[in-house]
Amino acid sequence: MSVAERYEPNAGAEADAEEARRLRETWKSRSGLIGFLTETNHKKIAARYLVTAFVFFILGGLEAFVMRLQLARPEAHVVGPDLYNQIFTVHGSTMMFLFGVPVMEAVGIYLVPLMIGTRNMAFPRLNAYSWYVYLIGGLLLYGAFFLNTGPDAGWFCYVPLAGPEYGPGKRVDVWAQLVTFTELAGLAAAVNQVATILKMRAPGMSLSRMPLFVWATLVASVMTIFAMPAVMAASSLLALDRLVATHFFNPAEGGDALLWQHLFWFFGHPEVYIIFIPALGMVSAILPAFTRRPVFGYNAMVLSIVATGFIGFGLWVHHMFATGLPQLGQSFFTAASMMIAIPSGVQIFCWLATLWSGRLRFAPPLLYVLGFVFIFVLGGLTGVMVASVPLDFQLHDTFFVVAHFHYVLIGGAVFPLLGAIYFWFPKMTGRRMFDRLGKWSFWITFVGFNLTFFPMHQLGLQGMPRRIYTYRAETGWGDLNLLATAGAVILALGLLLYLINVLSSWRGGALAGNDPWGAEGLEWSTTSPPPIYNYQHLPTVSGRAPLWEQGDDQPVVVGLRTDRREFLATRLIDAEPDHRDTLPDDAWAPLATAIATAVTFIGVIFTPWALPAGMILTTIALVGWFWPKRDRPRDWMEEQP
Amino acid sequence: MRPRPRIDVSALETMGFGPRSTLWWGVVSMLAIETTMFALLFATYYYLRGNESIWPPPGGNPPFVPATLCLALLLLSVPPMAIMHRESGNERNLKKMRFWLVVGMAIGLLALGARAAEIAMLPFRWDHHAYGSIVWVTIGMHAIHLLTSGGENILFAVLLFKGPVEDRHLVDLRLNAMYWFVMVVWDVMVYALIYLDPGVLRS
Repeated sequence: MSVAERYEPNAGAEADAEEARRLRETWKSRSGLIGFLTETNHKKIAARYLVTAFVFFILGGLEAFVMRLQLARPEAHVVGPDLYNQIFTVHGSTMMFLFGVPVMEAVGIYLVPLMIGTRNMAFPRLNAYSWYVYLIGGLLLYGAFFLNTGPDAGWFCYVPLAGPEYGPGKRVDVWAQLVTFTELAGLAAAVNQVATILKMRAPGMSLSRMPLFVWATLVASVMTIFAMPAVMAASSLLALDRLVATHFFNPAEGGDALLWQHLFWFFGHPEVYIIFIPALGMVSAILPAFTRRPVFGYNAMVLSIVATGFIGFGLWVHHMFATGLPQLGQSFFTAASMMIAIPSGVQIFCWLATLWSGRLRFAPPLLYVLGFVFIFVLGGLTGVMVASVPLDFQLHDTFFVVAHFHYVLIGGAVFPLLGAIYFWFPKMTGRRMFDRLGKWSFWITFVGFNLTFFPMHQLGLQGMPRRIYTYRAETGWGDLNLLATAGAVILALGLLLYLINVLSSWRGGALAGNDPWGAEGLEWSTTSPPPIYNYQHLPTVSGRAPLWEQGDDQPVVVGLRTDRREFLATRLIDAEPDHRDTLPDDAWAPLATAIATAVTFIGVIFTPWALPAGMILTTIALVGWFWPKRDRPRDWMEEQP
Repeated sequence: MRPRPRIDVSALETMGFGPRSTLWWGVVSMLAIETTMFALLFATYYYLRGNESIWPPPGGNPPFVPATLCLALLLLSVPPMAIMHRESGNERNLKKMRFWLVVGMAIGLLALGARAAEIAMLPFRWDHHAYGSIVWVTIGMHAIHLLTSGGENILFAVLLFKGPVEDRHLVDLRLNAMYWFVMVVWDVMVYALIYLDPGVLRS
C-alpha cells in the first residue's frame, strides 16, 4: 500500500471548518433553474428519480383502481373495451418500466455512494442523463394515453396483435419507444452502479465486507446489462416492422411471431429479478437494525443473490409453455423454474434465522419486512405451481397468474420498498416518520393487499381470463370480484395513509440525528441529510457492520484535493487505495443529450429520417459533453501540442 | 478526545489505466451491452433460418467482395491502433500517438467506405423477406458502430493536434482504442455469420 497511515494531532476545529467550506464550494450545485437543469449530485438525482417513480406509481394505481371498479360487478359500464385495453396496458407498462425498475435504481443511486463511503457516482452526468431520458419516456406514454393513443396490446405487446396488420395507428409505437427510453435509462444507471461499486468503495470495504444491499444492486445491475438489450432489440425490431415493413415477426415472409416472445421474455423474466433483488437487499439492510444482530449467513446470502442472478436467465420460456414447445424444452425450463426456489429459499431461511435469534423491535420497517416474508412466500409457492407445465396449461392467462405475480412483485418488491423508504427517510430528510401512522398504514395495506389479490387465485381456478373488460353474471365470478374491489379500496387507503405520513413528517417529523435506528451501515455515520459531498473525510471500514464494530481509532482518509471534485479509487477485491481521480462538474450536456435522444426516439415513431437527423443532433450534444474545459485545476500532460 | 488516525492519500497518482479506472469499467459494461445486442441479432438470424428450407431465400446473396475488403481493412487498422494504445500508456510521446492514430483512423475511414459500398450493393431490401430484414439490421448496426468509433477517432485526433491534453485524456484515448478493437471483433463475427454461413456458401 503506497499510502501512509499516521497518527497526527488533529489540525483543529477551525481547519476542519475551513475544509468543509472548501468542499461545499467545490461540490455545490448552481442555484435556481440553471442549477436544477445542470444538477449531477447523486442524492438530488435520486430524489427526482424517487419522486418521479412514485408519481407514476400513483398513476398506475389509479388505473388499477378503474379496472377494479369496472370488474366489481358483471357487465359494468365504467369504461368501454377499448379504453380498458389501454388502461391495463398502460398500467402494466407503468408499473414495470416506469415504477418497478426505476424506483429500485433510485434507492440505489441515493444509497450506494453513502453505503460505500464515497462522494458521488462514478459518472454523475450519465446519472442525470438517465433521469431525463426516463422522465421523457414516461411523459411520452402518458401524453399519448391522454390523447387516446395509449398502447393497448398488453404490457408484453405480443405480435401479431401488436404488429402492423392488427395494431394500426401509433399506439404500439408509443409502447415500443417507451421501452427504448426506459431501458436506455436503466442501462445507463446499471453501468454507473457497476463502476461505482467496483471501484469507489471505502478503503477496507473488500467484496467480503460489502453491505448486502450493495451486493444486490451490483447483481441487479449486471443482470440489467445482459437482459435489457433483449427488450431494446425486440422493441426496435417491432418498430422497424411497423415503420419500414421489415418482416421479423411476419410469418408470411419468413418471420416468426414466437421470436417476439423469446426476445421479450429473455428480458422479461430477468426483469422481475432486476426489480426484486434490490428489494431483497433492502430487507437485508433493514433487518439488523430491528433484530439487533447482523444478518445470519452473510456468505450464503451473497451466493444466493449471485445464483438468483444466473438462474434468472434460464427461466424465460416458462412464460411460453402454452405456445407448444418441444417436450425436452418444457422439462428443462420447468426444472430451472423450480431450481430458482432454492436460492430464494436460502435467503428466506437466513432471514428467519436472523429474526429467530434477534431481539425484535416492531417498528414499521420491520413490519413491512414481515409482511414481505408472508406475501412473498405465498407468491413463491404459486410460482412453483405454475412452473409445472400441465397446471400452467390450465392457468395460463387466467387471474391465477395475475394473483401470482402481484404477490411476487408487490409482496417481493413494494413491501420491502415501503419499509426501506420508512427506514431511510430520516437519512434523506433529517426527520422521522410518525410511527403510529406508520403501523396503521402497514396493517391497512397488508389486509387490503390480501383481500384484493387472494380471491384472484380462486377466480383463476374458476377460469376467469385476465384482460377481459367484463363478464356475465352466470359465470359466478361476481362475488369474488366484488371482494377484490373492496380490498382495493382498503389497499388504496393504506397507501394514502403512507403518503400522508411522508408528506406530514417531511415538515413536522421529529429530528432524526445521524443514526435514529441504531443501525450498523456506513451511511448512518454522516449527518441526516448528508452534506452535498457526503463525508468530509472519506471513511474506512474494518468489518461488515462498521458502526457496531469500529471505535474512535478507525482511520479516515485525508489528502484528497478540495479545489476539484476528487474521489478515491480503490482496488476491485480488497478496496485498498489505488489512485485519486476527478469527477466532472455540473453541466448542460446531459439535458441537451437527452433532448437529442428524445428527438430521435419520438421522431422515429413518424419517420425513419429521424434516425440520421437524431444521430447528428446527439453527436453534437455528445461533443459538448466531452469538450475539455479549463475552469478547475487539472493535470496537464507534460507535452502539449 | 484522541484524534482519529488518518490515511493520507495525497501521494497517490491522479489516474489509473485499464481496470484500475472507473471509466474502464463503464466502457466495458457498454461493450457488454452492445455485444449482447449482436448476440441477440445472431440468435434471431438462426431462429429465422430455422423457418426456411432454402437459405438464403432466392433473390441474390449479399456482396462478398466489399464485405471482405471492409473486414481486411479493419484487421489492418488494428496494429496502428495497438501501437497508439501502447504509446499512450508508456512513453506518452505525442508525435507517435498522433501519427499512429491518424494511420488507424484513415484505414478505418476506408473500411467505412467499403461498408457503404457493401450496403449499396445488397441485392435485396429489408422489406423483401425476413432474411433481408436481419441482414440489413445486422450490417446496419455494425455500420453505426463503425461510424461512431471512426468519429471518435477523428475527435481524438483533433484533441491531439489542438490540445490542451490532460493526463486523463490518455485514459480516454486508450479506451477509444479498446472500443475499436471490440468493434473489429464484432465485424469478424458479423462476417462469419453473413458470409461464411454454410447456407450462403452452398448457394
